[in-house]
Amino acid sequence: MFDLISNIRTWSDLLRAKGDLSEPDIIELENHLKDEIDDLVTIGLSTEEAFLISVKRMGNVHAISKEYSKVSTENLWKHLMINPDGALDSGQNRKYIAMVIIFSLISGTLFKLPELFGLNLLDSENGVLFFKNISFFILPFVAAFFLIKHQSTWKIPAVIGGIFALAWVLINLYPTYSPNDTEFLTALHLPLFLWLITGIAYMGMDWKATKGRMNFIRFTGESVIYGTLIFCGIIVLAMFIQAMFFAIQINASWFIQNYLIVYGSSSAAMITIYLVETKKSVVENFAPILAKIFSPLFLLVMLVFLGVMIGSSKSPFIERDYLIAFDFMLALVLGLVIYVISARNPHEKNTVFDYINLALILTALIIDGIALSAIVFRLSAYGLTPNKVAALGENLVLLVNLGGLAWLYIRFFLKKFDFKKIEVFQTSYIYVYALWFGMVAFLLPIFFAFQ
Amino acid sequence: MNVSKDLIAASAIPFILAILKQEDSYGYAIIKKVKELTEDELVWSEGMLYPVLHRLEEKNFIESYWQGSEKGRQRKYYRIKEEGLTELDMQKKQWDIVHSALSKTWLNLINKKEEFQYV
Repeated sequence: MFDLISNIRTWSDLLRAKGDLSEPDIIELENHLKDEIDDLVTIGLSTEEAFLISVKRMGNVHAISKEYSKVSTENLWKHLMINPDGALDSGQNRKYIAMVIIFSLISGTLFKLPELFGLNLLDSENGVLFFKNISFFILPFVAAFFLIKHQSTWKIPAVIGGIFALAWVLINLYPTYSPNDTEFLTALHLPLFLWLITGIAYMGMDWKATKGRMNFIRFTGESVIYGTLIFCGIIVLAMFIQAMFFAIQINASWFIQNYLIVYGSSSAAMITIYLVETKKSVVENFAPILAKIFSPLFLLVMLVFLGVMIGSSKSPFIERDYLIAFDFMLALVLGLVIYVISARNPHEKNTVFDYINLALILTALIIDGIALSAIVFRLSAYGLTPNKVAALGENLVLLVNLGGLAWLYIRFFLKKFDFKKIEVFQTSYIYVYALWFGMVAFLLPIFFAFQ
Repeated sequence: MNVSKDLIAASAIPFILAILKQEDSYGYAIIKKVKELTEDELVWSEGMLYPVLHRLEEKNFIESYWQGSEKGRQRKYYRIKEEGLTELDMQKKQWDIVHSALSKTWLNLINKKEEFQYV
């Protein structure tokens, strides 16, 4: 039986995927298609024949969306990248680039500011203090960039600014006692928490919608990749400077350590944000490609690991360090799964990557289940420490996330509902992460008396 | 006979403006009207109509509004504006120039042929 509705939807999704048409444009075209199909059916064609003819008459989807991209002003910046002249928006673009430069300079200078008071953040003894505060040197500027770009009203900036200020005051007011475990945990979780807060600036009012949050997930993945690449470039530059000046017996490392790395990192962050924001939907996202390349490989490794573990009946997970290793495994699997999902067309039929995703999740759950049963028993014998609580909590949060995904995937394969539901679940689960990161950063120190 | 793509593209704007001058209309109806007028000689790639409509709207020749149809489908109707009417007049003059010039040359050709036969 020919399913007309789903075929029309597949067709319009093709247009949607091109990204040049707004939703009303697509509705308009879809209605045109439906009108034509109705007319053809009344003169005696079957719905399938009518659909095929109408689609053919409509013309090549690629050509249509290309035409749209030429007219739609919203996408003008695309031509900005492709042909620099003849773009209306170049003034706008110059403004963003100016913002990137200014923010990088301010952010780098902020790093240097404590030095005036004799506090060098780059000294190794100030390591934790530095890491605890590092997000405040960069993320507020990232947030400011988006808030200015979106010309948002005072509400969102006020809320974000408030959270940042409060977080800064709190973590710097918190005392810290040996062995400083909670301080270290705060330093680790605060940037993640604040990144999610920065996400609100990126999403604007869209943060309430699945689509907005999904875009933020994509944005995060691309930022990590671009940021890493740009940072590698800075390291190459540093090594080059070192080597060149070494040839004439001048040691340039003071410059590299004090200036290049500081200003380089802050501008790397700002440039990354700018690039990822402007390139969106012109270039294909890279994170899903990486995820697709590596998810079969990770699946293979994990299956072999599971087999060997059961075969040799070894259970090496008795220490906390191993628990952290398993947290990483879960986080990695989650990353792979999410980025495959992020590039997936929700109306598509099951693909091979859906099955790989489910297999990955299930293997991870089994390995983690075995590990947890061994660890929890050992851990409880020695009482609770901040690190154990954090590692266990992390494991639990990830476990629930992956378990939920596995459950939804199975239901999806059984055709109980649309793929959309998986997206809704995953994007809503971000709240849980925000809550958890916030709790570790702000509440855990209080529970363990700042030790 | 198939009319060449360039000619179709060139004639699209006067067609749309002329049809909208008669009454407000929506995409599918405009396409149908063009087919009727040209007795199916002009084959449009129908999806291409919409970017053209967008462009006309941007140039302020036409404006659009949504209206429900009897089938419950939301349709985007287009209405011609003052600027559009002026543009249509201009286009009409241009096409008239081309048309009359071409007619004359073709008339000449026919006359020449006849002369040739007499000789």
